[in-house]
Amino acid sequence: MNSIKNYLHGFFSGLGSLTTGMKTTLRIFFRKKVTEKYPENRATLKIAGRFRGELIMPHNERNEHNCIACGICEMNCPNSTIRIVSEMQPDEAGKNRKVLTAYHYDLGSCLFCQLCVQTCPQNAIRFLPTFEHAVFTREKLFRRLNREGSRLMIRPQAPAGNQ
Amino acid sequence: MFDFSVVTQWVDQFLRSFMPAEMAVLAELILIGLCLLSGYALIALALIYAERKICAFFQCRIGPDRVGPFGLLQSFADMIKMLIKELIDINHVDRFLFNLAPFVVIIASVLAFGCIPFAKGLQVLDFNVGIFFLIAVSSIGIVGILLAGWASNNKYSLIGAMRSGAQMISYELSIGLSILTMVVFAGTMQLSAIVESQAGGWFIFRGHLPAVIAFVIYLVAGTAETNRGPFDLPEADSELTAGYHTEYSGMHFGFFYLAEYLNMFIVASVATTLFLGGWMPLHMPGWEGFNRVMDHIPSIVWFFGKTAVVIFIIMWFKWTFPRLRIDQLLRLEWRYLLPLNLVNLLLMVVVVVFKLHF
Amino acid sequence: MLTEKITSILPEGAILEEGNPTTVTVPAAAWRLFARQLKEEAELHFDYLACMTGMDWGDTLGIVCLLESTVHRHSLRIRIAAADRQNPELPSVCDIWKTADLNEREVFDFFGIHFINHPDMRRLFLRNDWVGYPLRKDYDAGENNNPVRLESDETPDATSFFEADSGGEIREKERILFEEDEYVVNIGPQHPATHGVLRFRVALEGENVKKLDVYCGYIHRGIEKMCESLTYPQMLALTDRLDYLSAHQNRHALCLCIEEALGIEVPERVRYIRTIMDELNRISSHLLFWSALCMDLGALTAFFYGFRDREKVLDMLEETTGGRLIQNYNVIGGVAADIQPDLTRKIKEFLVYLPPMLKEYHQVFTGNIIARQRMQQIGILPREAAISYGVTGPSGRASGWACDVRKKSPYGVYDKVDFKEIVRTEGDSFARYAVRIEELQESLRILEQLADNIPAGDFAVKTKPVIKLPEGAYYKSVEASRGEFGVYIESRGEKHPYRVKFRSPCLPLVSVVDLLARNNKIADLIAIGGTLDYVVPDIDR
Repeated sequence: MNSIKNYLHGFFSGLGSLTTGMKTTLRIFFRKKVTEKYPENRATLKIAGRFRGELIMPHNERNEHNCIACGICEMNCPNSTIRIVSEMQPDEAGKNRKVLTAYHYDLGSCLFCQLCVQTCPQNAIRFLPTFEHAVFTREKLFRRLNREGSRLMIRPQAPAGNQ
Repeated sequence: MFDFSVVTQWVDQFLRSFMPAEMAVLAELILIGLCLLSGYALIALALIYAERKICAFFQCRIGPDRVGPFGLLQSFADMIKMLIKELIDINHVDRFLFNLAPFVVIIASVLAFGCIPFAKGLQVLDFNVGIFFLIAVSSIGIVGILLAGWASNNKYSLIGAMRSGAQMISYELSIGLSILTMVVFAGTMQLSAIVESQAGGWFIFRGHLPAVIAFVIYLVAGTAETNRGPFDLPEADSELTAGYHTEYSGMHFGFFYLAEYLNMFIVASVATTLFLGGWMPLHMPGWEGFNRVMDHIPSIVWFFGKTAVVIFIIMWFKWTFPRLRIDQLLRLEWRYLLPLNLVNLLLMVVVVVFKLHF
Repeated sequence: MLTEKITSILPEGAILEEGNPTTVTVPAAAWRLFARQLKEEAELHFDYLACMTGMDWGDTLGIVCLLESTVHRHSLRIRIAAADRQNPELPSVCDIWKTADLNEREVFDFFGIHFINHPDMRRLFLRNDWVGYPLRKDYDAGENNNPVRLESDETPDATSFFEADSGGEIREKERILFEEDEYVVNIGPQHPATHGVLRFRVALEGENVKKLDVYCGYIHRGIEKMCESLTYPQMLALTDRLDYLSAHQNRHALCLCIEEALGIEVPERVRYIRTIMDELNRISSHLLFWSALCMDLGALTAFFYGFRDREKVLDMLEETTGGRLIQNYNVIGGVAADIQPDLTRKIKEFLVYLPPMLKEYHQVFTGNIIARQRMQQIGILPREAAISYGVTGPSGRASGWACDVRKKSPYGVYDKVDFKEIVRTEGDSFARYAVRIEELQESLRILEQLADNIPAGDFAVKTKPVIKLPEGAYYKSVEASRGEFGVYIESRGEKHPYRVKFRSPCLPLVSVVDLLARNNKIADLIAIGGTLDYVVPDIDR
């Protein structure tokens, strides 16, 4: 007798649990959907400001940057993503100073650990929250961060924020 | 209500008017075959689209919406992709059986598809043992699945095929018995006659309790029969990658895929025919105006509408429940469904004998 | 007390150094007997081998074991050096602590130390044809040694092992893993249910699993080796990539370890922020666990519900840390940036949002008869086995072992918040599932208590530009989403660590799969894997 009771109880409680599940899914069926329609929603898409998409070197309107080519970022990079090419040039006072010629950055091997930005004494580089970096060849991921003909900012003003 | 036999007779007379009778029959056979196959393909495409949309809605998504308005052309794009894909030639398979299997599966479902009364006067095969024939041909599909699993020479496929065998043979019983229950009630195995006899009220209403139980059992067993979730053990993707059709590619895989959806349609349309009155409109005794309005809706709309509802329920099952394990699956059949079914059959006999139905 | 007791059983030639923890240096010959005593003496009862680290001390090779007692809560560090560098041999303790099985294989793989009487001396991570032992200091990493091999690695059906006979003579023997006529199925490395590139070879009998063999290393990146040539701040970036679902917690452990070694006291605000982030991370991880388990069991719809809600956690994490999986938020001495001002508001919104969703989870999945029957009474892990195998975290707690590091040795502000350590006793798949779901609720409770009470202050203390750890060995562990994540650093006072070992919670988890899945069905194997919830990059490191 007990086994029959168990049998029936098992049957009906099982059936009950199944209908509960079906009720819930049907409720969700009519709920608002959460799909985000990318790329149509590009304009409204919100990317967190701190998201680390790519490394850039901010330049001001006079095509000047803050990098003094000290090489601290290069040293700190765990993946050797950054390569700095510099040369010695005399400044106004006639002293020989290190000047940045090329700031090479390989987006493809970047760990996005942010050590370069954190250790930069001049706040010369920062991360942008861009994310559409898909390219067809790896070569396109090798970037030169300092612009053509750019030079060091003469009087370092308030540096671009380090978000 | 529009009778489609007018159209078919007109075609018949038209053909006979300029060719000998044998030729006319031959032409009709070809014509019917073409209609059936294109109908088959169209329904499968529609079902694939419906499944993707419905499952997306259950999952808080919106589903395909890129190809065509609301993604309506998505299935066609998929079909074209499937058609132009390579049939990969695999080493170490039994080539003949391997290539035969998808055809066996698809032939079984096309044969069953031919038995269904789609609308008034629109039915290809109408025997006096129609429902019996339908069960018989739809069971051929399992041979195809077993062949596919065996011939693939793949361990996953073999396990999938074995599971499929155990599952289909078990659930065939339930399907058969629940259909038998309704045959007892209808008193005939001819599909057209079954539909006709529901003019006064659908069987699920007239047969009340035993018919409802048979309907539920039929739905469960039918879902299992089509290898759909939660009974999709033969192709359990998280266990056996893709089960018996792991090794298939291109249109051979496409055949399995089409057959799966069409089998779902067949299960749903048999449920419609047996329980929900087939193409018969909904009639309320005493509501003359209402009945008149219902009669104006074409029979084909009634049929496909009801089938769509059943299909939605089957999809609802799939997108709610986790997959059963093989022992649970067999326990469900042998411990719960089968005894219930036998009792229900007895109940139905009592109902019929003592005229307890409406 | 502990010191006295150990001194009384100290073998000849062993050296005891007091400290935190007490360290004992044991000669190789005496190790096995000593180990047995440590475990079996009632007053010592060292039943949990927390961490086994292979070491290359320059002139000798050896291992460092960290033992803990689940009863007395004391711990002990043991250093064992093999006598001969050319042909290093150590006695195996894998029958005393089961977790030593895979750990000794790992040490063999990287250091070439043969463990005598270990039943299975195969490489664990590297290919069988790998030349040399990469974590030895004199290893030649040149390309000639191990060029990129393009042919696939044969998987032998047999393994060799070293056995010492009664006379002490050591002989190499062969053991058959899979017989010729067994139906062996590969599950993985590419398989939907292994959650990554993990591979099982499973001998089947019909639907039943007869035995199972784990093959790791498909995603081994040599992070421990890489760390030896990186500075401490550089190392931090790699911990996020171990168990990517508890990135923040892993990094927390490493930061704690380094801060302890340097004697840095982090501000109160940092400890609050770190705790909040840990818990957010745990929620996201457990939600993903739930989703993935549902998918493994075939409930694909439930999978999307979990991901929908996890997205909200990830958004919060991203706003503050700038990363969704790889967060890079903890730094030595604090966190990388202050929290976003509206983080607390969002957390509070989430606290309101999630509980009704959890209710739906229960309706859709937990209560479901199919799901219950697939998990209840399946894959039972007894408490003793859990301890012996070192199965920590929710999986260990489901077996009745209260092993939560947050309670055992609180870090962050876990000593200030009120939360319950979820312990169940069944030890089956369902218990593992239920523990995680209940932990979600506990995490919400912790967040509720912390969100409004973050004290003002700095988000980091200034550290020296070049960080050098004082000479010594340091171990620190945290409760990651999957169990105890420990960091063992041995420093020689340089700016690079001499040796770093990550005690991953997932390696013990895969080591019990064989035990749990035997005589169950293939479908159960998937459910067991799902409820153990291992993350493959954490196994492989």
